[in-house]
Amino acid sequence: MSKIKLPTWFVLILPAILILVAVVLIPLLLSLYSSFTPYRLTRPDSLYKWIGTYNYEKAAKSWVFWSAFGRTVLLLTIALNLEMLLGLGLALLVSRVTRGQRALRTVMMFPMMFSPILVGFQFKFIFNDNVGLVNNALQSLGLTTAAIPWLVDQKLAMFSIIFAEVWSSTSVFAILILAGLFAIPKDPLEAAKVDGCTPWQTFRHITLPFLMPFIYIALAIRSLDVARAYDIVNIMTNGGPARRTELLWTLIGRTGYVDAKMGYANAMGYVSIFMAIFFTIFFFKKLSAARAELGMGG
Amino acid sequence: MAMDINRQHRFKTRIGAALRHITLFIAMSIICIPGLWIVLNSFRPTVDIMAKPPVWVPRGLNLDNYRAMFGGAGEGGVPVVQYFTNSLIISVTSTVIAILIGMAGGYAFARYRFRGKSAIFIGLLLTRAVPGVALSLPLFIVMAKTGLIDTHVGLIMVYVAMNVPFTIWLIDGFFRQVPPDLAEAAEIDGCTRWQAFWKVEFPVAKSGVASAGIFAFLTSWNEYALASQLTRSTFSKTMPVGLRDFTSEFTINWGGMCALAVLMIIPALILTFLVQKHLIAGLTFGGVKG
Amino acid sequence: MKNPLKSLLAVTTCLSMGAVLPAAAGEFDGMTVEAKLIGGQQYEGLYGRIGEWEASTGATVKIVSKKNHFELDKEFKSDLAAGTTSWCVGSNHSSFAPQYPSLYTDLTPFMDSGEVAGFVPAMISASTVAGKLVMLPRAQFDVSVLYYQKSLYEDDAKKAAFKTEYGYDLAPPATLDQFKDQAIFFADPPNFYGTQYAGKDEGASGRFYEMVVANGGKMFNDDWTPGFNSDAGKEALGWFVDLYKAGAVPPGTTSYLWDELGAGFASGTIALNLDWPGWSGYFNDPESSKAAGDVGLVVQPMGSAGIHTGWSGHHGFSVTEKCPTPEAAASLVAFLTSEASQIAESAGGSLPTRTAVWEHVVKAAEGDEFRSQALNVFKEGATHAFPVPKTPYWIEASNLIYPELQAAILGDKTVDQALQDAADAVDEMMQENGVY
Repeated sequence: MSKIKLPTWFVLILPAILILVAVVLIPLLLSLYSSFTPYRLTRPDSLYKWIGTYNYEKAAKSWVFWSAFGRTVLLLTIALNLEMLLGLGLALLVSRVTRGQRALRTVMMFPMMFSPILVGFQFKFIFNDNVGLVNNALQSLGLTTAAIPWLVDQKLAMFSIIFAEVWSSTSVFAILILAGLFAIPKDPLEAAKVDGCTPWQTFRHITLPFLMPFIYIALAIRSLDVARAYDIVNIMTNGGPARRTELLWTLIGRTGYVDAKMGYANAMGYVSIFMAIFFTIFFFKKLSAARAELGMGG
Repeated sequence: MAMDINRQHRFKTRIGAALRHITLFIAMSIICIPGLWIVLNSFRPTVDIMAKPPVWVPRGLNLDNYRAMFGGAGEGGVPVVQYFTNSLIISVTSTVIAILIGMAGGYAFARYRFRGKSAIFIGLLLTRAVPGVALSLPLFIVMAKTGLIDTHVGLIMVYVAMNVPFTIWLIDGFFRQVPPDLAEAAEIDGCTRWQAFWKVEFPVAKSGVASAGIFAFLTSWNEYALASQLTRSTFSKTMPVGLRDFTSEFTINWGGMCALAVLMIIPALILTFLVQKHLIAGLTFGGVKG
Repeated sequence: MKNPLKSLLAVTTCLSMGAVLPAAAGEFDGMTVEAKLIGGQQYEGLYGRIGEWEASTGATVKIVSKKNHFELDKEFKSDLAAGTTSWCVGSNHSSFAPQYPSLYTDLTPFMDSGEVAGFVPAMISASTVAGKLVMLPRAQFDVSVLYYQKSLYEDDAKKAAFKTEYGYDLAPPATLDQFKDQAIFFADPPNFYGTQYAGKDEGASGRFYEMVVANGGKMFNDDWTPGFNSDAGKEALGWFVDLYKAGAVPPGTTSYLWDELGAGFASGTIALNLDWPGWSGYFNDPESSKAAGDVGLVVQPMGSAGIHTGWSGHHGFSVTEKCPTPEAAASLVAFLTSEASQIAESAGGSLPTRTAVWEHVVKAAEGDEFRSQALNVFKEGATHAFPVPKTPYWIEASNLIYPELQAAILGDKTVDQALQDAADAVDEMMQENGVY
């Protein structure tokens, strides 16, 4: 006979809620408030002045902001899709290997062990136009005599950043999809073989639908985690040169911490949060739909 | 005729297998080469690394970079041992706490029905959507006022908050997998709910806990944005912050940076290899099946 | 037994230093002074002397942070925001100092009357913000001079070819135009480049600034409206653009900052390099530089108005307003910038900010041909030095300007368009900050 007045589920969830409120919600409210002020780090008293939606209007009218926004969405779309496809391919390849699975899986997860700033430094070094690995290799192999400016040219810089980002996160997709592949029940697969389906048909109609929930989970996880890309880009190009690789986060980071215009930076930050929320809800809905389709309760 | 078809089929299979192996090899190379490049360079002096024309075959590998790192201040030394210890303490503690909270929360979501369940669940997940860079300054101000800057406790709390949503999700999916009848049967046999949980449900959940654990650990071990803001001195600085400080202080010391990077990767590598077995099982059952 | 020992140590220290120390022995017994200092190999040497100060005053110094100036700057700003400014001593720089008028305290009340006079007057003036002497300069004074590879100028074949193509004798450049001609002449991409320049952050804006001044223009008008969108400005930006277009600079130069530039000249692939004095030792050291033994120096060139470039800055130390032990902190600052400390620090190659120490350094270099020659050039270069515009919004303006400079260099925008956009952005920023 329980004498506790609070329902059990509430007590169980309470620690989670408490810690998240303390660490995330309260600071978020603080920064939401500051986005309505002209808050500058170097003049703390500016926090108490209310200027309404000035910062949001300024962001809305700023070409720099919108081009960073657009570039960020583009980067995310390309990166997420690439990671999904490559992760899928990688998982399929690894699942067929019989010997040394465990070692192979560890190697596959290699990039996950790298801190994002380490990834940033690594690729900044590798793509360096003067002493970087890529250019040195290309020149040694005689494929080019020019020093290719990987981190300067408009398209090449975006490519380098996407490459770094994809390198860093494809493993997450791969491991989740691999788990999915192991979970697929054998019977439908064997039945398909007996019935004479080609491998492609088997894949398309049986394997893939089973994998969809895993894929959506991975997508949802990645969208949540996507701000990790900030560290990578910050180190590789910091949004430059000439704002060619400016993403929302590098813009926010610089405006807030170097220019000390925190109020404005927070306003921009909220737009980025809404974007992340949108992506997450989008994928979550898809996940629920896929689960329902497969008959799994949710 | 049958023989030809068989031979053809065997041929195709072999080609298929060969292609698969080659592709896999290429993929693995792309994954490994940047990392191996870093490892290799940690054994070479910076002059060689920056040499132009490039020096492909190392003239001699040595541990100079590592030695310099452990040296005193003024010789290019950094408090590596302290960074390492801090990272270890903070990551392990926050992982354990996150798992405990995750188990509690996951259990609640898996076994109980209540109003607003979906909303709360999504709400928890969304807290993860806040980018570190937007959160770090207000968090800094709040923590400064409460005296938590540059402490282990402060950073542990933050990482727990970062990891809880994912651990809850994973463990929730996992507990759903375990049939409630098992626990009920145990209760009928005379166990309390609490005992039933530990005896029956938890052992089955081990894999899910392991996989949640490794993700949580890697997240905490590698995190930079918040750590750099919330730590001030070697009392609490973690490895990623140490790495960034090192490169700020000795910007062109690529050799040293590589050595520090290798030290950062090793624990993560060891842990991942150990947990491999549980990882797939945990993700399989926990992630998807409802 | 402790006290007599301490007195003995103190007396010995005083005698050996021979300078006027504001602190008496044991004066700050038991106090702790927290410091946030700049990190980096060239700055480490001085910190070895902190132990002496600790021994003579009985206080302890706790170095809480050691980072480069950009990271330190961000940390200071966070501290200002959170109100955690009760640490005592901070590394400062003349380019960054105007940004935090409320952070640091006036040091004049803590100094003996003759103390401040020992510094080079221009440094003191650059260290004064809003009437407060916010920092004491340390022996890290910077003004860029022109380094070059001597062998290129002694090569007869090159001399002849240059004369034919450009019509005047080949000699280290005296003007920016000559600099440009020679850089283009020497360039042989991708293995060898004529020159290189800082391509981002305050580095790019600063170089642009000094060229604008050299061409007779100014960065800001007297009322702080942007003044670089002028003929002088266009000429200055054009210099960078033309070099990039001609392939005379490494294509990645728009991402380079001081350390990449230093490594670049040291790798022997750059002919001419406008760079800071602190690199002279590194460039001439065979262990670290391929150009060692081949390094020449000449005073920085003049622009079209006959003015030499001379963007300069110096490092120093400051004491926070909220420090609980300001006398101890001020004493530490005075110690680190005393004559003895500056002599010790400049032995490592950096330039002093005290008049007496300059003479000492020049004398000490007699016998080292390279160092003597370098010092003479530095001394001459210092006569043309000028600091950044004294506005608290210099860094913010720089962050608005350099992306436009990059856009023009990379060809995304024309020079006129880039300068116009930069001027508009700076103008808007100034208005937003209530400057006018």
